[in-house]
Amino acid sequence: MYALVDCNNFFVSCERAFQPWLEKRPVVVLSNNDGCVVARSNESKPLVPMGTPFFKLKGLVDSGKIEVRSSNYTLYGDLSRRVMNILASTGLPLEKYSIDEAYLDLEGLPAEQQRPFCLALVRKIRKWTGIPVSIGIAPTKTLGKVANHFAKRYPGYKGVCVIDSDEKREKALSLTTIDDVWGIGWRSAPKLMSLGVHTALDFVQRPESWVQKHMGIVGVRTWRELQGERAVAEDRDERRQSICTSRSFAELVQDSAELSLRVSDFAGICAEKLRHDRSRCRSVGVFIHTSRFRKDLPQYYPFVQVRLDTPSNDTETIVGAALKAFRRAYKPGYLYKRAGVTVDDITASDYLEASLFETPSEALRREKNDTVSALMDHFNSAHNNLLRLASQRSGHYAEGIRREHCSPLFSTEWSDILEIK
Amino acid sequence: MDENEMLAKMAEEGIHAGFPSPAQDYMTGVIDLNRELVRHPDATFYGRVVGDSMSEAGIAEGDVLIIDKALEPHEGDMCVCFVDGEFCLKYISFKDPSGGGEQGLWLLAGNRKYKPIRIVEYNDFTVWGVVTYIIKKQK
Repeated sequence: MYALVDCNNFFVSCERAFQPWLEKRPVVVLSNNDGCVVARSNESKPLVPMGTPFFKLKGLVDSGKIEVRSSNYTLYGDLSRRVMNILASTGLPLEKYSIDEAYLDLEGLPAEQQRPFCLALVRKIRKWTGIPVSIGIAPTKTLGKVANHFAKRYPGYKGVCVIDSDEKREKALSLTTIDDVWGIGWRSAPKLMSLGVHTALDFVQRPESWVQKHMGIVGVRTWRELQGERAVAEDRDERRQSICTSRSFAELVQDSAELSLRVSDFAGICAEKLRHDRSRCRSVGVFIHTSRFRKDLPQYYPFVQVRLDTPSNDTETIVGAALKAFRRAYKPGYLYKRAGVTVDDITASDYLEASLFETPSEALRREKNDTVSALMDHFNSAHNNLLRLASQRSGHYAEGIRREHCSPLFSTEWSDILEIK
Repeated sequence: MDENEMLAKMAEEGIHAGFPSPAQDYMTGVIDLNRELVRHPDATFYGRVVGDSMSEAGIAEGDVLIIDKALEPHEGDMCVCFVDGEFCLKYISFKDPSGGGEQGLWLLAGNRKYKPIRIVEYNDFTVWGVVTYIIKKQK
């Protein structure tokens, strides 16, 4: 059996861990740059749809009906690390799935001990870190998601829901709408509904050949998982096809040097994401946008792509290509509000085919850059992203980012620790 | 000891042709305060004292508290409590401080200026963590 451990409203729970007065109050956390709502407490869910732009909430915030925080990824990262450490200390095989979710493999535990074990784990994580978690126990990962959903929704489960019989499985699937099933994309759900499949139970009752015909192999995998048959591999291929890093600026930027610094930051982040995914890209694109809301100003939205000779993921190459694209895209005389870097044509880095035209000295340079990048990742993961190439801005790029409602770094910064009367 | 460690050690001490230094067996590295003072790293947080509620216990404004959330609070423990909207530093007591023998939970300050607080249902109250060490800046 798998246990899917998922932190409840994780970003909000991190804020509450050090600000207990936010308990039971509607709280929302904003995206980078205070753009829109990315996390909500249960209390704010009826008041605020996900993705609501912050400016639309001003009324609710000013009248004190809702509490708002800028995203504080340092704080969330530290609490995530603590939760994951506690899970790892169980000694059971652990697979981290995201900042706030992980799978534990419960095979080593007798069936009757699994629920008590998980109940104790929920209590321990809550007590040690302040973070509430829910656990779904089921024979497959996809059913683990379903079970977790019930553990969250119904307090009677005390945070742990088990699907360990066909009777429970069918009951749970009949209460799960098809668009809530993990692995059913937002494009597939409306299609399935139009074909008469409204719940997860409707879905599993269709024959495999029907699923194969309408949804292909990915759909069949989900269908098998929902039957209780393991079909999602241990280490899913999570490589993205395209990666984009972009930001709106707090102010309008005209200066080419200033913009190129930001573009090189975004390119550096893309390179890090590629290395994290163990993939390489062949194409680097840059866009810079003027403000659509300033109709009084001249508008300009260029997007320029540069092709690389060899698939790459090293910071120097990606940043270099992005700056080349930027120089082609940039025109003076405009006020820019947003910029971004995209990397496309992504391949797995393990299957690197050397370019036919790569000379030995180029190959050597590529190897050197790979080493520099690996060192940068190692250092940056330990030191809060302080290391940048000389072409990148020194230190944090956070000064360009609006974070007006950010909490202190309670758990990682000596000057920001709690004040106790 | 693997080869790298061995090489590092030789580089540090130089290579002796004669007897090895008798102190060598006792080398253990440095004292690591994280290891000595923090029993549960994943449950440990820090706080800074403001105010004088513990002045008679020798705790002054600016002192840093090591707070362990993994521990269960016991009679007489110094704890960081969250009471009615704010964090405060108190001793936990299950004994009636007036000697009246009443059942309940009291929060005691380390300063006679502050009266014991009896926790009742309508208080918004949690023991946030137990204080295990106090760090004072002396110089």
